[in-house]
Amino acid sequence: MKLPTLSVLGVVGALLLAATWMSFPSASDARIPVPVSACSDLDPDPPVYYAIDLVPTRKVPGTRMAEGQGDVTFATSPFGVSISENGQYVYNLSIAMEKVRLRDGQALDVWVTTPDLDKIRHIGRLDDELKTKGTVDWNKFLVVVTLESAAEDPGATWTGPIVARGMSRSGLMHTMAGHGPFESEPCAVYGYR
Amino acid sequence: MHLRPLRALPACTPLSGSLLVGILLIGGLSASAVAQDMDMHAGHNMDMPVMQGDSVLWRMPPMNMSMPMLPGMESEVPITAAYLPGAGLDPMSVPEARPFEIMDVKNGDTIHLQAGLVRRQIGDQTLVMMGYNGQYPGPLLRVDKGANINVHFVNAIDQPTTVHGHGLRLDDYRFDGIPGISQAPVESGESFLYKLNFPDTGLYWYHPHMREDVQQDLGLYGNMLVSPIEDDYYAPVNREQTLILDDILIDANGIIPYGESAPTHALMGRFGNVMLTNGVTDFSMDVRQGEVVRFFLTNVANSRTYNVVFGGNPIKIVASDVSKYEREMSVGSVVIAPAERYIVDVLFEDAGEVTVTNTVQAIDHFRGEFYPSIHNLATIRVSDTPADVSHADAFHKLRTNEDVVSDIDTFRPYFDKAPDKELELTVRVDNLPLPIMRMMEVDTLYVPPIEWNDAMPMMNWLSTGEQVEWLLREKSTGRESMDIEWTFEKDDVVKVRIFNTPDSFHPMNHPIHFHGQRFLVTHIDGVENPNLVWKDTTIIPVGSTVDLLVHMSNPGKWMAHCHIAEHLHAGMMLGFEVTE
Repeated sequence: MKLPTLSVLGVVGALLLAATWMSFPSASDARIPVPVSACSDLDPDPPVYYAIDLVPTRKVPGTRMAEGQGDVTFATSPFGVSISENGQYVYNLSIAMEKVRLRDGQALDVWVTTPDLDKIRHIGRLDDELKTKGTVDWNKFLVVVTLESAAEDPGATWTGPIVARGMSRSGLMHTMAGHGPFESEPCAVYGYR
Repeated sequence: MHLRPLRALPACTPLSGSLLVGILLIGGLSASAVAQDMDMHAGHNMDMPVMQGDSVLWRMPPMNMSMPMLPGMESEVPITAAYLPGAGLDPMSVPEARPFEIMDVKNGDTIHLQAGLVRRQIGDQTLVMMGYNGQYPGPLLRVDKGANINVHFVNAIDQPTTVHGHGLRLDDYRFDGIPGISQAPVESGESFLYKLNFPDTGLYWYHPHMREDVQQDLGLYGNMLVSPIEDDYYAPVNREQTLILDDILIDANGIIPYGESAPTHALMGRFGNVMLTNGVTDFSMDVRQGEVVRFFLTNVANSRTYNVVFGGNPIKIVASDVSKYEREMSVGSVVIAPAERYIVDVLFEDAGEVTVTNTVQAIDHFRGEFYPSIHNLATIRVSDTPADVSHADAFHKLRTNEDVVSDIDTFRPYFDKAPDKELELTVRVDNLPLPIMRMMEVDTLYVPPIEWNDAMPMMNWLSTGEQVEWLLREKSTGRESMDIEWTFEKDDVVKVRIFNTPDSFHPMNHPIHFHGQRFLVTHIDGVENPNLVWKDTTIIPVGSTVDLLVHMSNPGKWMAHCHIAEHLHAGMMLGFEVTE
């Protein structure tokens, strides 16, 4: 029994190893022309890559099933890309929500804030189609959708509960200090704990 | 524990899969590796001499030494041999370069242009570089719109070369300077007579179209300024100044070598660490208080995109590559990609010293953050002597250029037509060192629309044109780059939709250039451009879809390509023909 068992294990192990090795494209694989149908769709809409998924908090009645997305395009610029004097991207931010039921007197306001929450700007109030637009000139930011009183103009910051929030794609940029192949580097050297 | 045995194994063979990554990561976690940061760059010969015997030695480019080395990369060098024109020469044996001179060239004139080695002073270093007519940049050719001139070119460098008149819509494509398409290379010691015509007012430039990553980087570039026929073509200004922006990669021992058989820095292009404006590190000029200065900006850097700020002084954008804008605009800075040109007016209202800067938010991939990066490009001393004549009123008036609007009106009916051609910009890699392959997969969770800096200098340096193939892929046929076959008829109006896919091994912005024609950027990501200008080069940000309306005005055999020198030489080009 032992020998056949070892043989089976050996075969399984070999197959697993082979599968592991095969998961990396060889040079010859990489040279195979990609079929046309496998190309990314050429899409003239806002870049999908930089789209911001708005994730509901599910704590506010009428918004627990809410879904939403933020799209960024470059603000109008004679250079195609729009860059501020201090080098930040300047984006037009379009917000669209759905599956939201508001009561009379309620409104949804959209804000952007820095990751440290030290700066907050009002983007706009969602209209009847649950859409609004604004401009943001930060490279990394959070989008916050809050429930507010429709009777009051938005102030410097939100006062109501957060309905949904999202993060610019740049938020995925992460420190490698102290992680993975750079494990030898202590995080604390770079201010991370 | 050092991982040197890994180097004996070719990457991307079946043995270079997960198992080895596992070993590599284990190595990264090992106790002995903890000490590696003290000598993690020791294998890269950063203090090595330029040469050993007759051979140029690799030494790692200068980089932020606090950035740790990927395990397995301690002593990797590019797979191509190191190469440096003029290496071993006593700099004093080559002529000293002098600042560029203006050549006023009349219709029918023949001028002499020679590419040769020159001695340059960059900061405190004396370097052997290249120059046209012994100048840095090359001579500024000033011609009238409509002129025809001859350029007797002599190649006195040790490589074959050509001269490309960037942006010129030439009557005869055989003088466009494209080896293998419009002419044979001009071999060392040989000459070629170029016949150039200048149908469009504006700012153009000339440069080699062979190994630009080397020849252009070493100083082979110059401007061509085409003067308008009309006196009031531009608003009046007090003075004019060309500014050619460049950067160069040097360390204490001089210029970092290039790849002999293929470019290094094939992933991101070769970013310099020293900024050059008109060929010097300390360009300055004097103006008077209240003057309006017209700057003619050209970006000749291999890869760097600039965000030029004039110290907060007001800027009015007037023109770009091949025409004025429909409407002049006030801007806070000038974003200029490689090979683009912009003409801007700047008002200096206050006396004092103004520092012109490249102000960007660079990326530190290791720390995962943006950080402000500011390089000084020029100093402008504004005296308290008032301007002889004030053009402030004209400066503040934003003109609508009816001649441009009228010209573009002819093309407006085509703006919303379906694309005639669709391209995807992507990359294929093969046989890069395994740590780079794995690291890139982690590192590309976020890719910025524009790479403002060399955020991965080690990985970039190691990638060569023999391992990286940049691609223009046609949607309808699946053909790639030079296998694409495009034929048009004269005066066809062709909508080319270009998508810069973020789903590749290393997405990056690309300045796409069409030879011999002009185009409008009508839409970016579906948003219509409200203020148009004729272009020959435009930036395609990562993730974006850009619609170009190309006016195929000039018959001949031409080329379209990315103007990052290393991307071009890593294959990112296509040929097209315009028939009569």
